[in-house]
Amino acid sequence: MGAVTELHATRTNPPWEGLEGTERHAACVIAAREGHRGALDVLVAELTPLVWHIARGAGLDRSAAEDVAQTVWLALLRHVDAIAEPRAVVGWLITTTRREAKRTRQRSTTHVELSPEVQEHVPSTEPMPEAEALRTERDRTLWSAFHRLDQRCQELLRLTVLAGRAEYKVVAEVLRMPHGSIGPTRGRCLTALRALYDNGDGGR
Amino acid sequence: MRTMDDYEMDPAEQEFWLAQVARLVDELDPVPAGLVERAQFAIDLEDIDAEVELEAARWAERRPLAGVRGGAPGTITFFVGDLTVMVNVTRTGEKQRIDGWLVPAGEHGVEVRVADHGSNTTTADEGGRFVLTEVPRGTTQILVRMNGGKPRTVVTPTVEL
Repeated sequence: MGAVTELHATRTNPPWEGLEGTERHAACVIAAREGHRGALDVLVAELTPLVWHIARGAGLDRSAAEDVAQTVWLALLRHVDAIAEPRAVVGWLITTTRREAKRTRQRSTTHVELSPEVQEHVPSTEPMPEAEALRTERDRTLWSAFHRLDQRCQELLRLTVLAGRAEYKVVAEVLRMPHGSIGPTRGRCLTALRALYDNGDGGR
Repeated sequence: MRTMDDYEMDPAEQEFWLAQVARLVDELDPVPAGLVERAQFAIDLEDIDAEVELEAARWAERRPLAGVRGGAPGTITFFVGDLTVMVNVTRTGEKQRIDGWLVPAGEHGVEVRVADHGSNTTTADEGGRFVLTEVPRGTTQILVRMNGGKPRTVVTPTVEL
């Protein structure tokens, strides 16, 4: 592995250079397996927003989401040789982040010993951001409504926002979402958001 | 009056609500500054051998540090599987002293990595206690190398100490 590392280190162009999206990520995974330093750093730099929004969409607070993000990248370091399909690394990251987020959530609720049924219905404990960041009553109500959506909707809407951006077309691929389209599930999530917003913040 | 069962929302209105979500997510919930760099530091491990099990630990409790990730010293705990590590941090001038306790106890290798400052290593005593003095402050990661049985390395996410 050391010899391979040196070989790659002397190359001028890394193997992922000039590639985009799925091809680029696959090239990074393959290069990382061959000991290419920097290959995982490229994935971390480009896909951390994806990991972050999945962790946050799963109901973790910002501090726990940061730990989960780092844990996911450590897991990739550990398992980079075991990913069966390098082209599917984004899917692997999504699955791993969901699993780590769930574990973290379960751990933080263990000591209150809620039954699984009750846990399903516990509203997000996400503290509201600083009041000054939420300039208008309207934004406050909307953000509160967003956090009262079920986690599936929160994740889906966050990913939809990401997927709508040029650099995240790969997310659209994973979601099997034609570019620029909003599918029926997303439509239902947005309708639910509108209803929560219309009902106001906690029925005020 | 709209109801939750009202699924019909025209595409323009869907776009409107999605744009609202995008704006709030960007403004209120951006990826934390420096997370990419901290994650890159966390995985920049020199000697992770393919033979060694690498397990990512989680910070279990950092109540004394809660809300001040860049903040005051105190006691924090992390765990992975059956291993729990308690760490007490005390400021000593510009640097700090780290007192740790591994449960279950064992004479395991302990490494504390601080970004841009290299690493400090020691070995826990048979009671699982370890002490590192003169540890620089900064983005910190702790590794525990467990030798008994199947060799494995436990590694934490970074924390600002």
